[in-house]
Amino acid sequence: MSIAASAPTSATGWRLPLRFAIRELRGGLRGFYVFLACIALGCMAIAGVSSLAASLNDGLAREGQVILGGDLAFTLIQREAKPAELAFLERQGTVSRDATLRAMARTTNGQATLVELKAVDSAYPLFGAVKLDPTGKLDAALAEQGGVYGAVADPTLLARLAIKPGAVLSVGNAKLKINAALTNEPDKLMTGIGFGPRLMVSQAALKATALIQPGSLVHWHYKVRLPPSHDSAAALQAVVKNAKAQLPQAGWGIRTRAKASPRLQRNVERFTQFLTIVGLTALLVGGVGVGNAVKSHLDRRRETIATLKALGAGGGRVFSIYLTQVLLLALIGGLIGVAFGAVMPFAVAWMFKAILPLPIEPALFPGDLALALLYGLLTALAFALWPLGRAHDVPVGELFRDEVTSEARRPRLIYMALTAVAVAVLAALAVLLAYDRRVAIVYVGTAAAVFVLLRGVAWLVMALARRAPHARATSLRMAVANIHRPGALTPSIVLSLGLGIALLVTVIEIDGNLSRQFTHEIPAKAPSFYFLDIPSTQATQFTSFLKTQAPAAKLEDVPMLRGRIVSVNGIPADKLKPADDARWVLQSDRGVTYADAVPKGSRVVAGQWWKKGYDGPPLVSFEQHIAEGLGLKLGEPVTVNVLGRNITAKVASLRRVDWQSLSINFVMVFSPNTFRGAPHTHIATLTLPNGGTAAKEGAVLRAAAETYPMVTAVPVKEALDAIGKIVGNLLLAIRGASAITLLSAALVLGGALAAGHRHRVYDAVILKTLGATRARLLGAYTIEYALLGAATALFGGLSGSLAAWLIVAQIMHLPFVWLPWPALIAAVGAVVVTVVLGLIGTFSALGQKPARVLRNL
Amino acid sequence: MRAPSETPAVALTGINLSLGQAAARVHVLKDIGLNIGRGEAFGLVGPSGSGKSTLLMVMAGLERPDSGSVTVAGEELTGLDEDALARFRGRHVGIVFQSFHLIPTMTALENVAVPLELAGTADAQERARAELTAVGLAERLGHYPAQLSGGEQQRVAIARALAPNPAIVVADEPTGNLDEETGKQVIDLLYAGQMRRGTTLVLVTHDNALAARCQRVARLRSGHVDSVDVP
Repeated sequence: MSIAASAPTSATGWRLPLRFAIRELRGGLRGFYVFLACIALGCMAIAGVSSLAASLNDGLAREGQVILGGDLAFTLIQREAKPAELAFLERQGTVSRDATLRAMARTTNGQATLVELKAVDSAYPLFGAVKLDPTGKLDAALAEQGGVYGAVADPTLLARLAIKPGAVLSVGNAKLKINAALTNEPDKLMTGIGFGPRLMVSQAALKATALIQPGSLVHWHYKVRLPPSHDSAAALQAVVKNAKAQLPQAGWGIRTRAKASPRLQRNVERFTQFLTIVGLTALLVGGVGVGNAVKSHLDRRRETIATLKALGAGGGRVFSIYLTQVLLLALIGGLIGVAFGAVMPFAVAWMFKAILPLPIEPALFPGDLALALLYGLLTALAFALWPLGRAHDVPVGELFRDEVTSEARRPRLIYMALTAVAVAVLAALAVLLAYDRRVAIVYVGTAAAVFVLLRGVAWLVMALARRAPHARATSLRMAVANIHRPGALTPSIVLSLGLGIALLVTVIEIDGNLSRQFTHEIPAKAPSFYFLDIPSTQATQFTSFLKTQAPAAKLEDVPMLRGRIVSVNGIPADKLKPADDARWVLQSDRGVTYADAVPKGSRVVAGQWWKKGYDGPPLVSFEQHIAEGLGLKLGEPVTVNVLGRNITAKVASLRRVDWQSLSINFVMVFSPNTFRGAPHTHIATLTLPNGGTAAKEGAVLRAAAETYPMVTAVPVKEALDAIGKIVGNLLLAIRGASAITLLSAALVLGGALAAGHRHRVYDAVILKTLGATRARLLGAYTIEYALLGAATALFGGLSGSLAAWLIVAQIMHLPFVWLPWPALIAAVGAVVVTVVLGLIGTFSALGQKPARVLRNL
Repeated sequence: MRAPSETPAVALTGINLSLGQAAARVHVLKDIGLNIGRGEAFGLVGPSGSGKSTLLMVMAGLERPDSGSVTVAGEELTGLDEDALARFRGRHVGIVFQSFHLIPTMTALENVAVPLELAGTADAQERARAELTAVGLAERLGHYPAQLSGGEQQRVAIARALAPNPAIVVADEPTGNLDEETGKQVIDLLYAGQMRRGTTLVLVTHDNALAARCQRVARLRSGHVDSVDVP
């Protein structure tokens, strides 16, 4: 039978590689589970975090009016709007006014607690709805009856004071009857995190408290609802522009519904970036697994590759077939991960909506999901191109000769260049899309350094094993030889385990240090109380009172006003481009003070402190780090709006402040003549000896609240608890995200050990044939895994501790204490995991009957 | 059967080749010169390590000699790069291995279609089907190598080698992994295919009976061609 030849068609393009790639994958994904899981986990983390953030941002944008309480909000500190200002606001639309301040609430039996008081008018809320329990109208709940004003309170306050609706509280001079629990306050997010629970009253009740004195720390919010005919984005911006132009001295903070909670949005973005970085780390760790999987797949396919080449496939064609296969697999893994990531906002909203005070609007975000997929594909490429490049040069001669080991040669230059391009694109993507590019660049640099370093550690371990003295014990000798022999597991184990341990130790050390700070260090040196809103006329009396209450306690007392920076060296605050860590100073009003002498806990590092009794033009001493962040130098002017008046002062000196001393300190300290005659209050701290006791603190709090009802006492332990809870929640999120990376690292480690399984079976069979007992082989493998685990754990522990120190000491500016036990436990755990995972695979190798394996060798 | 023509299908001149590194380097082929005619069945025999398989690889463009000239199907191979050699093999050389070397993840039909697909042949599947029918495997098209017997696997390999109508088929101990009866059937198929197409066949074997079916047989010893005989 003769078969006619037919004309050739083009064999180029992607169809043939795709067809061949699919044929190979038809047999199943065995050998690729770790590959798929690694890409899926990384993509899931990135897609989940970005989808969640997008849901939150969408929620914040969509609920902007409700969160803000209006289309626009104008906030004034320590003063109400002047008639001209109010007239301007009323010309724009419907206005609702409320005041927020901290105050002490006292029960009839003498209990006292800090509350965040909010006094609303009858127009409140302009958007959204207040929910009460029992249900009812807010106006009715806040109404006055027989000299007692109605109030509604956050359920936390009722629980804290163990009271129920119907109970009567005293705030300042007013008596308030709690008529209902406040279960939903629509614009709660606008005011940010408070140190006490909300107590809502009417404006008449606020007046009756007599808490509003000149200089009291009260924020007045004027919410404006624009008429429907004029509520476009352009109209919104026009109002802001007019407000600045017509009332330049107002010194108010203006927010629009488009950015109802800029601080929250910034924090969401910052936290998103951090979690994205953790997700990227999971993907990078997973990339090691991808590289290992591709390498071991190609090792298994050497015969097929050689056959394809014998049949006329060039090296480039072989490369394109296996590249297509890798991309297909990465696409499958990525799509699985992205699918899980996409449902994350829905899951979070479903599970936590009741307890999360955030407006999550779950939806599918194709752009974010595509980006996560792109990260997955790029990571797969970055780690797979190198081993794929080696496939180009698989010699066909292997089909004629039995070659036991394959050489681990470098691929051709083109493949090394392609790898570099994939890595560069991945890095560029991570940096360009980052919220804070500086952090992203540091991350990319650190990740690259860690990879290079781990390669170096693997090389060092192998070099040491090669040069190790000849051990007499056979098992030890075999173990040491296994560490450095060609094709040893050392590089892949060191890389996966090293990354895992380094990350684990970093998280544990940061976790431990932060917990230590919030449970031991800060409480030990923190004052017991901050007292706010001490009228300047009563400051001396109040400090005397405290001295009688707690004679052995340390007392500090300084004047305080609130001010908002309007301009720096003539540049308006909203045009400044401050450093990231100085931006907060411009974001809202800050406490300012005046003093004759350099305040405690700070020292002048540049310029001169003014002489006592100085009476020239206003001067200010600025905290050095913040001044640098704002680009402010000695002698330059800074304008601050205090009590509706713009005050310009020249920078006379720069100070370095030890914020951790927790003494009262300020970014800006003015010369005393600056505020002469201005109404203001004092702030005081009281530090009970030896940290005080709960009973003593309670007694001081009750006495102060009873005698000075206008003064607000902030129990620092409660404040620290509140901060500690926030930090705890953040740590929980970090732990969760890190767990994904650790899972990835464990998978990669398991995959690396499994990849060595074929060689293990071969070795074990040959050694058993030559007389090695199973016990001896087991001993050798155990020693090998333990040595590798220990060497890697040492490096991982050291680098993790170093990373933790960098983050805690250099970024968070907190003291770092190395905690040996957690690091040691992590390291020992890692060794145990390595040995156990290694031996699980090896047991089956030990059980192989030599004859059966030898027949198939 | 087509008579050997005067223009050789394979022309080897002064071939030298050493393998291995440093102290382990072995001079495997020593100054070999051979001409194999078009359509000729040519045997390579000799003891283990004499260089038979290596010489076969040189003819198939799988091994590059250190010196000398290799011309196959009128094309000089020594100047071609790796990819050009692969394309050359795809067009002109069919290979039958002792261990079959079928691709385990592909069916018999797909295995035979591979060289045709790589060469960009439009009706690769149809031609592969015809080749398999010609070797008596029309009922086994969808079977994977693991589902075929050794003899069937080697028949698939022969169909694969012959499918692109190559100028030369090289076979390295094609019956080495088969029992006598199966080996005989396989070799009959190989010769039948070769004769039908007028393809040059170069066969490495230890089996004297098999060698005797060739038109000429070269005996190799320690990398030299000892003799070229007509059996």
